[in-house]
Amino acid sequence: MNRYGIKNLVFLLAINSIMFLQSCGGVPEEKSSTTQSNKVFAVSEILTLIAEENDITRTLYTKGIVGAGKKQGLKFDEDWQDDEVEAGPLPALFLRGISSDIRKSIVPLGLYLGSDFPINASNKFTGKQAELFEKIKTNKEPQHFFEEDQKLYTSMFADLAVAAPCVNCHNEHKNTTKTDWKLGDVMGATTWQYPSDSLSYKEAIDVIKAYRNGTKAIYTAYLDKIATFKIDSTKPSIGNKWPSKGFYIPTADVFIDSVRKLTSYKSFEKLLADSKRRKNNYLVSN
Amino acid sequence: MLNRNPLRKRQYIGTLIGIIVTIVTYIILPLKQTEDFLSLGPLNTGHEGLSCNACHTDAKGSLIQQLQSNMAYTFGARKTKVDFGTQNVDNKKCIACHDRPNDRHPTHRFLEPKFKDAIANIDATQCETCHREHNDTRVVLAEANFCVNCHYDLEVKNDPINVPHSTLISNKQWNTCLQCHDFHGNHLYKVAEKIEDTIPLQEIQNYLRGGKDPFSSKKKHLPLSEDEWLKMKAKHTNSK
Repeated sequence: MNRYGIKNLVFLLAINSIMFLQSCGGVPEEKSSTTQSNKVFAVSEILTLIAEENDITRTLYTKGIVGAGKKQGLKFDEDWQDDEVEAGPLPALFLRGISSDIRKSIVPLGLYLGSDFPINASNKFTGKQAELFEKIKTNKEPQHFFEEDQKLYTSMFADLAVAAPCVNCHNEHKNTTKTDWKLGDVMGATTWQYPSDSLSYKEAIDVIKAYRNGTKAIYTAYLDKIATFKIDSTKPSIGNKWPSKGFYIPTADVFIDSVRKLTSYKSFEKLLADSKRRKNNYLVSN
Repeated sequence: MLNRNPLRKRQYIGTLIGIIVTIVTYIILPLKQTEDFLSLGPLNTGHEGLSCNACHTDAKGSLIQQLQSNMAYTFGARKTKVDFGTQNVDNKKCIACHDRPNDRHPTHRFLEPKFKDAIANIDATQCETCHREHNDTRVVLAEANFCVNCHYDLEVKNDPINVPHSTLISNKQWNTCLQCHDFHGNHLYKVAEKIEDTIPLQEIQNYLRGGKDPFSSKKKHLPLSEDEWLKMKAKHTNSK
């Protein structure tokens, strides 16, 4: 074989290698529902939707479990996870539990709670969040912005004193930094973050599912904690009934069903209403 | 063909040796017996005896697919590149075994915008900032004074300790925090109320370097062993 023959052989081998590589097909790219044409929701719309679900969920927990439960002798504490403390999570920690569970999922949603007068100093707003919170306190309107450093779309929503337990617990807490809270006050704000400016239907539903799974996870953790109470008489009966009826606590399914009944209609209508508007916009623009 | 030129003959023999060495290396290196040889360094405290692939799990696709995908990415034919050989070891890998609902300082907490100045000093959003693997230690930071980055303006109401936090902070004694406070909050122990009863700084430093645990032998949540993790992974894979 002359040197031209060898060169041809090398050339053919190279071509074959490239064809072999290409014919195998690469690792599938994860883009099925994330192409730009499928992105039908602005991130602020979905964060507003989920913040409203959060308001309803936390109000139900605060009034139906914490408020009514305290009257029945149930305890709620910031150190509720400690072995020697027989108590459930306070509403702020209930939210933190949801937030932690969301972070374990694949949904890139961030959720935080802060205030200008927090009980725990680590929840105090600083920087841009503190500036925007001043606006929220005056008009109770959400604030949407792009956090440049983190490259995350961020929304802040007022966290109102919606129930007597919010006001009473914060005013009477030994480490409180403010003792004159009253019903209706803006006690703080939730901050939500998402890495994309728009979401597809699947992504929007994944956000809602991640939030609801988080609710179930932290509520289940509370029920698991009750099971570890050392004295049986301090354990409420877990079933269909709520603390307003006696020394009872609803199961996770009962609690979540109640959350769904209160939130699903509004969320679903919002998704549909937005889809009609989007379809009209699409028809107009084409 | 090989008789024509002795230089050409050497070239072919060299190529042949190269191919043989590559094939032998490719076969031998992935074997369990060669893990120590491949490791970047001794594993950290508590991780002794773990297999490489407990953390370095196989990346998606075959090697050829990964090669093709990354070539396509290089030439702009796809938007994302893929892990080659093994997956990147990130927080999710750590949390798969070390998931603790009672974690006082979970990494995701520091993603909130208000911590951006703090994480510019110490990136607490990543486990490996403190626990970088293959260093035969527990914490890789030279100093245990990292609490200052977030708690510099701490004010404690009803301060329970005999030397108040305000004094410790004004004296910039940030090394003393860990003498009472377990960073992740997973140890079961009683916190001292007198500074003289706290854990000596030397013991804390030894602990951070991989030594004896001075907080307590009892923990609220134990990490998964490799076997437990493998079972959980298999269960998760089967349920898909």
